[in-house]
Amino acid sequence: MKSLYRFLSSLKLTVVLLAFSILLVFFGTLDQVHYGIHEAQRRYFESFLALWQYPSEWFGGLQLSWFKLPLPGGFTLGILLLVNLCCAHFRYFRLSWKRSGIAITHLGVVVLLVSGFLVSWLQEESQMWIDEGGQSNYAETHLDNELVFIDRSNPDYDEVVSIPQSLLRDGAHIELPQLGLSLNVVDFMLNAGLGTKMQNPNGPTPRADRGAAARMGLFAVEKAPDYSDKGINTTTAIIELEGAEGPLGTWLVSNVMDEHRFPPQTLEVGGRTYEVYLRFKRTYLPFSLELKKFTHDKYPGTDIPKNFASDVRILTPGESPQPALIYMNHPLRHGGFTFYQASFGKQDTASMLQVVRNPSWLVPYLAVTLVGIGMCIQFLIHLVRFTTRRSAQSRS
Amino acid sequence: MKTFVPLLCLLVGVIIIGRGLVPPNYQSEYDVRSFAELPVQSGGRVLPLDSVARNSLRLLSGRQSAKLPEDGKMSAIAWFMELSFNPVAADKIPVFRIDNPQVLGLFGWQQEDRKLFSFDDLRPHFQTIQQMASQVNPEPKLRSAYERQLIKLTSALMEYDVLARSIQPGGNLDQVLLEYGAWERIVEPGRTAFDQKERGESFDAEDLERFTFLTSRYLDISKRGGFGIVPPAGEQTKADDHWLNLGEALLQTIESGQLNPIVDDYAKLTVFWRQANPQGFNETLTALHTQLAPASPTGHVAFEEFFNTFEPFYRASVLYVIILLLAAISWLWMPLPLQRGAFWLLVLAFAVHTFGLLGRMYIQGRPPVTNLYSSAIFVGWGAVLLGLILERIYRSGIGSFVSGLVGFVTLIIAHNLALSGDTLEMMQAVLDSNFWLATHVVIITIGYSATFLAGTLAIVYVLRRLPAGRLSRETAASLYRMVYGITCFALLFSFVGTMLGGVWADQSWGRFWGWDPKENGALIIVLWCALMLHARIGRLVGERGFMLLAIFGNIVTVWSWFGTNMLGVGLHSYGFMDKAFFWILLFIVSQFALIALGLTRPAPGTRTTPKAANGQA
Repeated sequence: MKSLYRFLSSLKLTVVLLAFSILLVFFGTLDQVHYGIHEAQRRYFESFLALWQYPSEWFGGLQLSWFKLPLPGGFTLGILLLVNLCCAHFRYFRLSWKRSGIAITHLGVVVLLVSGFLVSWLQEESQMWIDEGGQSNYAETHLDNELVFIDRSNPDYDEVVSIPQSLLRDGAHIELPQLGLSLNVVDFMLNAGLGTKMQNPNGPTPRADRGAAARMGLFAVEKAPDYSDKGINTTTAIIELEGAEGPLGTWLVSNVMDEHRFPPQTLEVGGRTYEVYLRFKRTYLPFSLELKKFTHDKYPGTDIPKNFASDVRILTPGESPQPALIYMNHPLRHGGFTFYQASFGKQDTASMLQVVRNPSWLVPYLAVTLVGIGMCIQFLIHLVRFTTRRSAQSRS
Repeated sequence: MKTFVPLLCLLVGVIIIGRGLVPPNYQSEYDVRSFAELPVQSGGRVLPLDSVARNSLRLLSGRQSAKLPEDGKMSAIAWFMELSFNPVAADKIPVFRIDNPQVLGLFGWQQEDRKLFSFDDLRPHFQTIQQMASQVNPEPKLRSAYERQLIKLTSALMEYDVLARSIQPGGNLDQVLLEYGAWERIVEPGRTAFDQKERGESFDAEDLERFTFLTSRYLDISKRGGFGIVPPAGEQTKADDHWLNLGEALLQTIESGQLNPIVDDYAKLTVFWRQANPQGFNETLTALHTQLAPASPTGHVAFEEFFNTFEPFYRASVLYVIILLLAAISWLWMPLPLQRGAFWLLVLAFAVHTFGLLGRMYIQGRPPVTNLYSSAIFVGWGAVLLGLILERIYRSGIGSFVSGLVGFVTLIIAHNLALSGDTLEMMQAVLDSNFWLATHVVIITIGYSATFLAGTLAIVYVLRRLPAGRLSRETAASLYRMVYGITCFALLFSFVGTMLGGVWADQSWGRFWGWDPKENGALIIVLWCALMLHARIGRLVGERGFMLLAIFGNIVTVWSWFGTNMLGVGLHSYGFMDKAFFWILLFIVSQFALIALGLTRPAPGTRTTPKAANGQA
């Protein structure tokens, strides 16, 4: 036990962990070329074990691409660094003015590491598109999907039952008692190519026997996921539904067959009608944003963007509208969400806002302040000691 | 001797700087300087014609002056005048740089012959170029060196063509005033004829034909782009108002009925030049300046022209070489006088470097670091400042030596980064925040300066340790203290700078940390400095080991500074370069070689373990 404590509190371990962190960050950065930022982040920094493979397009890639380098992932290193830092403090640290800066710095590093975990658990990011003159009360992310059943029979609101993508595994069985339904996932494809029998007679036999896919003769072929930054995966699933009265057929759902482009696939169970979609995961807000005007300025005579701005109104039921301007480096914080000007489209008549919900957003600020102050104190202590010694030397 | 040598050194420095203050002599009866100072609008900002000429020439040929086919050089502005007023002669001047042997092979040329070609050289091959350029990979990231060069050549040719007709419309230049006169006369009847035709009434077909012919000619020129030559009318003009280019200004005549006087003056300049009439030329220039004066009231434009000819960074880099040599020699011969001379020169060079930095800030109205080019300038500046302080404390020549080395190398890097055009370009909207540019970017760049300085000091340690007995225990200990102190400083600035970037990112797009390559690069520097300090305090490394870690810090910093930009992903990939790849690789290899050299057994008489310096945290 004592030797374990000695190991966990040793400076050797610190140096080794720092070295591994450097390697992890380095290889995690390199792999962004292949996987894009989000996937590389998941594989390297939000994992326990990461695996780097020698890229085949590098020098000698054909011979060397078998080479794989295992590395401890971000979670492993983060936890170990935390443990190491805490143990080392208990073992070595004696409170004194001379070392106060180091203590504050290390406290800040602890908070920083904790904030890293908090962000990876709590932060949700999604995007909201609004057309000029239009409004929206939800944001969606194309990095995640959900299977939804929507009952639109109430004129005041829609009832949505949502199943997260993480539950949709091949062969999964899911009970939905509130709908009087159960479903089997026959095939889940993170990315797929869709085609019809009409255009492509040699394609595989369509598996859906109900809904739009059955009518159109639609089939899906699994494809490798697209990890590029702008790439969007055509996530598709084949599902079997069963009600109390018996089987309700096999359906094909896909996030390209969304509410904007396709007529809904509908299903009747127990006297109620549901629309079924597999769609980008949505976050509904307790209020709506209305886009009054989007502006996009360029520097004169060039295509260099100078400014983007969305002039919006926040519409909360039962409250008077609240105007706001969202532009570069000036987000809107409202109701626990933060809205950033992110992109635009449709010849500058539609605006995309990045919507972030992160209850722990102040924690890194605290951490950074602590480390910054601690390092400044320590640096000043050193400097003062050094200059007094120098002047003593030059006097003697 | 003690004051004579330093004074002599300083005198040499003052002469080098002073040469830049003398107005350039263009050896011409035409007032070239005044022409160079004419304000125009390009890339979203108002700047002197001189800058347009220099930036274009740098983009085409990688040089600031044109090399004539016969021996001799031509200043950028003189080349631009030739291009505008006498295109037939200008087309013979080799300004297109082609390095890629495969592209040269397309035209049956060999690489050994030369690298610069004229428009006339390329003219017979336009079809081949166009045909080959249409076949390159549409995804820029996946293009080969050959494809990139081909695309670069195509855009260079277009750029040249636009530039050649930015202040006159092309065609028969001797008759340009006649053409404008005809245009002014035909505008009224032409428009009447056009309206009559629209309404279905009878109209003068000849008037309409001449009117539509010139209208479509000027429409072409306006669409082609080119810089703005006519500022917006009115008393109060703002910096971001749109200036009309030649075509737009000519088309404006349709509404106003009159030729714009600025366009007219540029045509007169053209004709006077072609008639070899310097007096008329210079008088027209004076008139033109009077007309344009309200558009550049702050003196920015004239200052930029002075800044261009003064070339502060070039002059500073010459001084840095001299400092470097003086300091190195001082360790073998005349230590005191040479070290003092080097120090004085260093103060002078630093002053010029600082002036250049402030000058750019004044022209741009921005904090010092706005792009990769300016980061190189600033990294050098920060390292020189730190080195200056070290030299003031230790007085051993080492501070001067490393300042000279880092200052010179970073300015060379900056010079090469400038080849992509205007180094004072406008900021993308995302980056448009003076507060964050002034804090995050500046602090993180000082962090780069510090790690490079620590690495360079460690190189001095390794090299001076080589010959037996040359590195005294005392010098070794002071080098160790310097590297340790600078590393602490580097950790402080890298960390604070990186984290301020996180705060900026959180304010701008709601993500404190996004694992963007540039962020990761900065994080690696922080981790590396932390590793060095922990390895030292845990006694995992001694004096020599710490020095070798510091040399590796150079590699880490180069990766963060440039390597990450080469990946071409993420929000920071603004400075993608490919030629630099080779140099970076060479640099990394050289650093590894130095580390290997440091690992060899120390020469007798230098092997001692560090004592007092090791005990402190």
